[in-house]
Amino acid sequence: MKRLLPILLGAALGLAAATSALAMERGGAMTFARYDDSTVIDPVYADRNPDLWMVTGLYETLLRNGPDGSIVPGLAEGYDVAADGLSIKLKLRDGLKFSDGSALTGADVVFSLDRARNPELGPWAGLLGAVDKVSADGNQVTLTLKNPDPTIVSILATFNTGIMPKAAFEKAAGANDQEKARAFFEAGPVTSGPFTMKSRMQGSSMTFERNPNYWRPGADGKPLPYLDQVDFVIIPDDATRILKLQAGEVDAAEFIPSARVGELGADPALKMELFPSTRIVYAPINTRETRKDGAKNPLADVKVRQALNYATDKSMLIKLVTFDTGKPMTSLMSAATQLHYGPEPLYPYNPEKAKQLLDEAGLGGGFEVTFTTLAGSADDATLFTALQQMWSPLGVNLKVEQVDNPTRGEKNRSGDFDIHTYGWANDVNDPAQVTGWLGYYKQRQAVGTGWNNAEFNTLFEASNVEVDPAKRKDEYKKMQEIYAEGAPLLFLFETPFAVAVSKSIEGYVQTPLGANDFSEAWRAK
Amino acid sequence: MPSLSYLLARLLQIIPTFLLVMIFIFLLVRLLPGDPAIAMAEAKATDAQLEQIRHNLGLDQPLPIQFLVFVKNTLTGDLGRSIMLKAPVTEIILDRLPTTIFLALYSVLLAICLAGPLAFLAAARVNSAVDVTIRSVFQVGLSMPVFYIGLVLLTVLAAQMRWFPVGGYGTSFLDNLHHLMLPALSVALYTSAIILRNLRASLIEVLDADYVQFARAKGLSRRIVMTRHVLRNALVSTVTLLGLSIGNLMSGTLVTETVFAVPGVGRLMLEAIFARDYPLIQGLTLTFAVLVSVVFLLTDIVQSWLDPRLRQS
Repeated sequence: MKRLLPILLGAALGLAAATSALAMERGGAMTFARYDDSTVIDPVYADRNPDLWMVTGLYETLLRNGPDGSIVPGLAEGYDVAADGLSIKLKLRDGLKFSDGSALTGADVVFSLDRARNPELGPWAGLLGAVDKVSADGNQVTLTLKNPDPTIVSILATFNTGIMPKAAFEKAAGANDQEKARAFFEAGPVTSGPFTMKSRMQGSSMTFERNPNYWRPGADGKPLPYLDQVDFVIIPDDATRILKLQAGEVDAAEFIPSARVGELGADPALKMELFPSTRIVYAPINTRETRKDGAKNPLADVKVRQALNYATDKSMLIKLVTFDTGKPMTSLMSAATQLHYGPEPLYPYNPEKAKQLLDEAGLGGGFEVTFTTLAGSADDATLFTALQQMWSPLGVNLKVEQVDNPTRGEKNRSGDFDIHTYGWANDVNDPAQVTGWLGYYKQRQAVGTGWNNAEFNTLFEASNVEVDPAKRKDEYKKMQEIYAEGAPLLFLFETPFAVAVSKSIEGYVQTPLGANDFSEAWRAK
Repeated sequence: MPSLSYLLARLLQIIPTFLLVMIFIFLLVRLLPGDPAIAMAEAKATDAQLEQIRHNLGLDQPLPIQFLVFVKNTLTGDLGRSIMLKAPVTEIILDRLPTTIFLALYSVLLAICLAGPLAFLAAARVNSAVDVTIRSVFQVGLSMPVFYIGLVLLTVLAAQMRWFPVGGYGTSFLDNLHHLMLPALSVALYTSAIILRNLRASLIEVLDADYVQFARAKGLSRRIVMTRHVLRNALVSTVTLLGLSIGNLMSGTLVTETVFAVPGVGRLMLEAIFARDYPLIQGLTLTFAVLVSVVFLLTDIVQSWLDPRLRQS
């Protein structure tokens, strides 16, 4: 089923694309209401979702993520990994141009990738850590690696390797790269992606305009995008953003709270889109022998962590928190992630088994746990109230602590928590990012839980230099099994990206990685 | 008008206020759990990367040194670079401040236009049907939170009636009057309720005072009695209240600007706090301190003009 599902989905998507292509129309504009503004849309400096989810609208990568999650050609016609895994060759398409009409050449690629892997600049340089040298000979680009790295191909389809114009960027004012990046962006940058930035009022609005030199053809054979213009308005308040859509002032509104999904889906003027995502909602459990204050930690016992997972009625939580838009987690990673392995939902609700596990752990008499949640989050409030009720029959007394986001982050970093809410969405179309974050001790102490499994760690290190895809897949299967068994998390649910779109707009997509893709959106006249 | 020495004395009083504000805000933001590096790299950075970010931001320096750098830079007019927005703080604030000032003045004007005439109407016939109606309607305004009034106005006047746009900001002065009408009104409803109660009470008191009776008995025209004797005396406490409520308004913009998607400094402050953007929080707090000080200074000047007794002390 796991293999079949993406194929069926792909077929359904392909069919949908084929039907809409018949009626597809060019021209016009659409207005999109966002929850937050971009700061600097630069492949290298983008560090907040409102920035990095917009990068590929402006900057094209050498390779692209296809609709079914596979890697497909982008600016490069294709790629070729050497047998020893120590070099990758890519050939650029002929006649590529930036938005200002200047030629996009190998020199721009070398410039962009060197910038992307410079650790002194942005936060994503580590993704290209294995690259030793980037060189270009005419249209031929070669990446030489220090060691084999199976993730590099995915990274070449990731926003941080978007290709920027060397000459135009270097001409921008500023004493260092960061100042240049900002000046370059503010002035309306020369771009390689489907759009250019026409204007912008910080904190208020932004306009993307069609890039006439974009390479990728649409369904009618002429270059994309179909729309002449996309206008963005920034409306941070959920209720106001939805009102703006209902009043017909905008064509789409993102981040619709789950509680409103049903209502907007019933509105005849709107389509309620629930885009499949790599977003997971989970709760790290502190697995260290002692709590931060030195007291013995009952959660250090794997049986206790498994018991809490069994005592959690995931389908009830999905109903209460996500209004049935979510799905239970089947692995540490979302089902939309490459190399995902998870035949069935983890820890199906089983209070008897939970009770039995707690008895075996010698905690049948109950104990106290603090649950740290986000203050002001309706979802978290629902979650802890439900958990309090689900766990109290086991004698687990759940105390709630409400804090703001940076405080929660600090508690996670310093190990000063029992269990807390958290979320994640992949930035890279490869499982290494989420797996390293959630499970690899040496990276972030397994998302701050202190879970340190030698077998898991060894497998992760091996998988990061594994050139044989079949072996790597097998390593990932094992890691996901070990992780599920070790239960350093309360496995909760996956949630989609909920975007409400006017019925007159077709083809807008938010990708599983969160990117806003307007390249194939069009307006019915 | 107040004397020059009075003005100078008032200006000098502002200096220690600023120093205290600077010390407090510097320490307070650093007492909050979490820091800019954590807020910035929320989920994705390793501990080593966090240390690098802290080093780049100068957050690994001892606190006294960070404070000295902050004071020195501030005195030379440099408020630093925003961590979140990656731009000079002064530039960001100057870009956003006019919007907030526009919104504040707009709502104060609306509040005065609403409360002024109605207070006179109510005070003229105490406990009449008119008086009771006016007071009870405004009581509702006073007892509802501003964000709630805002959402009601948005739903009814913008989304349903389509008289106004649902939030956002305009491109010209007239366009802004149209765009900011609802946020200004929702704040004004609250402010005007306070002003109305106060002004009505003072009017009733003054109308009953001996000197007003005397002025009437002297045979002065109704208009002269009202403007020269009644209004001038009744306004003294209302002006104080208005000054204070403008101070409150500055903090009120945090909520209003978020609900109505107005790109001003209030919403910016909220975002800066969640991002633990120390330079931006410090810069905004100083800006608020300057604004509130200026408003209070203006209040004092107007008051001492209305009430000459205040000039002596």
